[in-house]
Formats: sequence, C-alpha cells, structure tokens
Amino acid sequence: MPDIVDIAVSNDSFKTLVAAVQAANLVETLKSPGPFTVFAPTDAAFAKLPPGTIQTLLQNIPQLARILTYHVVPGKLMQADLGKLDSVTSVEGSPISLDCSSGFEVKNATVVAADVEADNGVIHVIDTVILMG
Amino acid sequence: MTTATSTQLPPSTHEFADIIHRLEAGGSMLPDNPENLKQIIGIYKAYAVPMDFYWRDLLYIAQEVFLEPLDFFKYFLPKEYLELHNHYAGDDADLRIWRGEATVHPELLAFMEKGELNQKIPRLFHHLFHDRINMEFAEACMRSMLWHGRDMGWGKFDAYLDSDEYKANADAAIKAYFQGNPAMLGLYKLFPEMFLEQVRQLSYYSNLGLFWEVMAPVFFEMSDLYDEGNLTTVPEAMNFLVNGIFAIAGRPIYHHAHIRGKVYEIIPKSKGFTWLYEAALPYVEAVFYRTAPFRGTKSYNAQAKQVPDEQKDFHYGILYADVFPVGTAGIPPTLLMQDMLHFLPPYLVDYYRQYCRGEDDMLIQLGITFQRSMYCVTSAVIQALRTALLYPLDDPNPKHLMANRRFFESQLDRFKRPEARLRDIQSQDYR
Repeated sequence: MPDIVDIAVSNDSFKTLVAAVQAANLVETLKSPGPFTVFAPTDAAFAKLPPGTIQTLLQNIPQLARILTYHVVPGKLMQADLGKLDSVTSVEGSPISLDCSSGFEVKNATVVAADVEADNGVIHVIDTVILMG
Repeated sequence: MTTATSTQLPPSTHEFADIIHRLEAGGSMLPDNPENLKQIIGIYKAYAVPMDFYWRDLLYIAQEVFLEPLDFFKYFLPKEYLELHNHYAGDDADLRIWRGEATVHPELLAFMEKGELNQKIPRLFHHLFHDRINMEFAEACMRSMLWHGRDMGWGKFDAYLDSDEYKANADAAIKAYFQGNPAMLGLYKLFPEMFLEQVRQLSYYSNLGLFWEVMAPVFFEMSDLYDEGNLTTVPEAMNFLVNGIFAIAGRPIYHHAHIRGKVYEIIPKSKGFTWLYEAALPYVEAVFYRTAPFRGTKSYNAQAKQVPDEQKDFHYGILYADVFPVGTAGIPPTLLMQDMLHFLPPYLVDYYRQYCRGEDDMLIQLGITFQRSMYCVTSAVIQALRTALLYPLDDPNPKHLMANRRFFESQLDRFKRPEARLRDIQSQDYR
C-alpha cells in the first residue's frame, strides 16, 4: 500500500499541501512507519487563506512546520474512532475539536473524504486549513 | 457583505444585539461613517510615527543594550537602528505592506533632530528637556505582556521562558555579556534568578518590538490608501487589518542578543513561535483589555478591594480607559497621547479645533479618537479569529452561523461591565 506522502503526491488536489510538506522537510517524517492520522487540506482550502499568508509561511520554515504538524495526529484513527471523541491532541501539541453529530467536522473544517487508508496511517480530506486556538 | 444572516438566524437577544448583527454583516464594533473613518485613519498615522521609534528602540534594547546595568542611554537610538530595514516596507521587504521607505520615517527623524523646541541641539538636551518620544509607554506595554503572560492561554512563548533550554541559552548570553567583569559575574553566581528574570523581560522587549515592526507599516499604508481615496469605509479599514493579520501571522518571534560581534540565540527562530500566536494575540489581551490599574484612578489598597484578585479580571486597557483625565497625574496613556500629538495629520488638527475646547483639550480629543480606532483594531482581531477558527459570514449552514454568533456574543460579553467604552463610541457626541 502507498504511504501518506505517496497518496498526497498522486492526487491532483494536494499540490499546495505537498509543496508545503516538502518545504517544511516533513516528507521523511510522514514516510516513517508512524502511524499517523492526517487531516489534509485541499488546494481549494489553502486558496481560502487571505493573500500573503502562505508566502510568509514559506519564508519561515519552522513556523510552516508548526501549522502543518497541527494537521497531524499520532495513531491511526478512522472516522468511527474519531466519532467517539470530542477532541484529539495534534503533533503540534494543541487540541483539535471534533464534531461527528451530523456529518464529520474537524474544528471548523468539513471532511470531504474520510478514511483514505495508507500504509502508515489514514488521511481525512478537509475543505479548510485548520488553525490552533 | 451578506444579508443572508438576518433571515437565517433569529435576531440576537444580547444586550449589544445591534453590534452583533453589524459584526455578522461584516462590520466593525465602531459605527461606519466618514467622520469615524477620518478619525481612526488620522490617528493610525499619528500612532505609526512614534511606533516606528518604539519598535526600533525595543529591538535595540533587547539585542544591544541587553543587561547594561547603567542603561542611561537606552533611548538614544544609534544610526544602525534608525537605518534598520523594516521587514514589511521598502524595496527589499519580505512582504511589502507599506510602499514607503524601510528606514526610519522622515517625520520621526525630523522630530528627533529638532523636537518641539524646533531647534537643532544635541539629543541629550532634547532628552533632558523631555522633548522626546515617550519610550516609557512602550516599556509599560511590554511589562504588561510580561506580567500577564503566564496567566494567558495564548501562545507558547511564556511557557518557553521557564524551560531548561531557555535557561541554558540565557545563561550563555549572560556569561558572554559580563565576560571579564568579575563583579557582575559574581553577582550572577549569587543571584542567578535576578539576571534570568531580566533576560526574560528582554525577551518581551524583542517580542513587542517584532510585533510593532509589523503594525507601523500597516498603519502607514492605511493612511496612504485613505489619502489616495482608496479606503472609504470603516469595514474596509477593518478588512485591511484582518488581511494584514493573516499575511504576517507566520512571521517568527525570536530573541537574539548581539554580544561582541556574536549572535546569541536566546529564543531561536527554529522554535516555531509565530507573530499571531506569540505576539499579536497576547498583546491584544494584555494591552487592549487588561494592563494594570491607573495609579491615578484606582486605589491599590488591599482592604479597599478596588483592584481584582485575579489577573483575568483586570480591565484597564484602552477599551475600558477613562480618557478624560488624560494629561493629569497617574494616567499612563498620557505618554502616548503626547507622542501622537506631534504627528497628527492637518485634517485631524482642524477637526479638533472645531470641537470642545479646540486646541486646549486636543490631548483628550485625540485620546478618544485613539480609543475609537482601537475598537476598530479589536474588531479586526475578532473577525480574524472568527475567520481562522470558525466560519465565513455567508456560510449557508445555519449551525455554522450560530457558532459564529455565539463567538461574537462571548466576545461582546467582555464589554458588558460599566467601564467598557463600547456604548460611548456608538455616538459621535463622545469626544
């Protein structure tokens, strides 16, 4: 089975995410055995951010890496597992709130494709970049 | 922006329902009219010029003055710091916000040379005549962040100041700084915590300096856009701030000390601290909302119980301040008002002449303008948080709109207390 990075690279809607993960030197981490649960924002999700945001982050790699690691949770958590929880703690350290009461919402993002299984974890595709706080 | 909100949700029953509906429609806490726009833009300009001094001097103190025990000259900016390039202005900017120069603002330079006296005399005499920028105000803001830091949920900056890694970094810098000075090194051995706490304070100098390095070009650009006729409403002004907050959100917050040609990374950029989480949000909480009770309006008497026990209940920031006693003893914002007075655009001076006591009480009039403008900045912060953590204003899902409303309501709950000036700024008669 392909790993998390392979899946993202092979999919056309994750161009920004893949570029950001590469810039932040997180490729190796996300290719490691893990397992990880990744909330992956689509290109459309990144496009919703106001202008300049991505540019500043690409100039500052540790800060970019921090935002990206907020989208990663240790362990392989499927939608069914997450449905039982109110929040999970990200690799960044801050909590991510969950709401599966109607649909599948992660913080202020909606999951548009859940349970994309990878060799070293699972991807849930989200429509908004999530931020700490 | 959207009128869908009013039809999708029942009206709010909050005390400030009108203001909540305005926020839901993409507006600001400050009512949108040309008079308010003129006031807030004019005061942003007047604030940005001393702010250009504040951020440069804060970084100078954090990086160069460092632990100087006799810091008599810490407000005397050397040439390198006047020429230091702002990262968000000029041709070589990381992200150009202001189209103007990256070096010190010309109006500030002129004031530093001639002052109110309008005479070219040595800077020391300007300083002794108190003909200068009131840098103590910037330090008071910094201390507010330091003192409230540990009590606020935002950011990881303050927690890092207690880590072993930070202590080791600070220790290396302290020893390097006092190298060859057995008296100070001996003192450091006896009282290590005393020096460490001073370095923590210097880290906050750096934090606030890096925060204001962004705000000064943002305010300069807003003033230029207004002069060019490209900023015509209060919501437009607020949205410019929201976009500015997002654009710079990821800028690193760090503390480097420059000691004998070597850079000591006390807080390295690689810690991943960001402008939004580690500087902007803590700043708003510490300075706009909390600060410390004015010595001239509250009694610190423990029996009188005028000052809250809990830091979270402090409500002495600009959003609550009584501006009328500005210019009298024991009212710290006077320092800032006096600084802004020197750089008012002519249209605001003309405006103040028409009201109240004209030029005689201009300090108070501009103080109230400043309060209005900071309600607009706080609105931008609230809208930015809503954008980051919640949902768009035109979200079709009523559940999402309700989450936005609950957020707005909880933010406005903080202005229910009688000291809050939110009610006052709704009327033009408050001046």
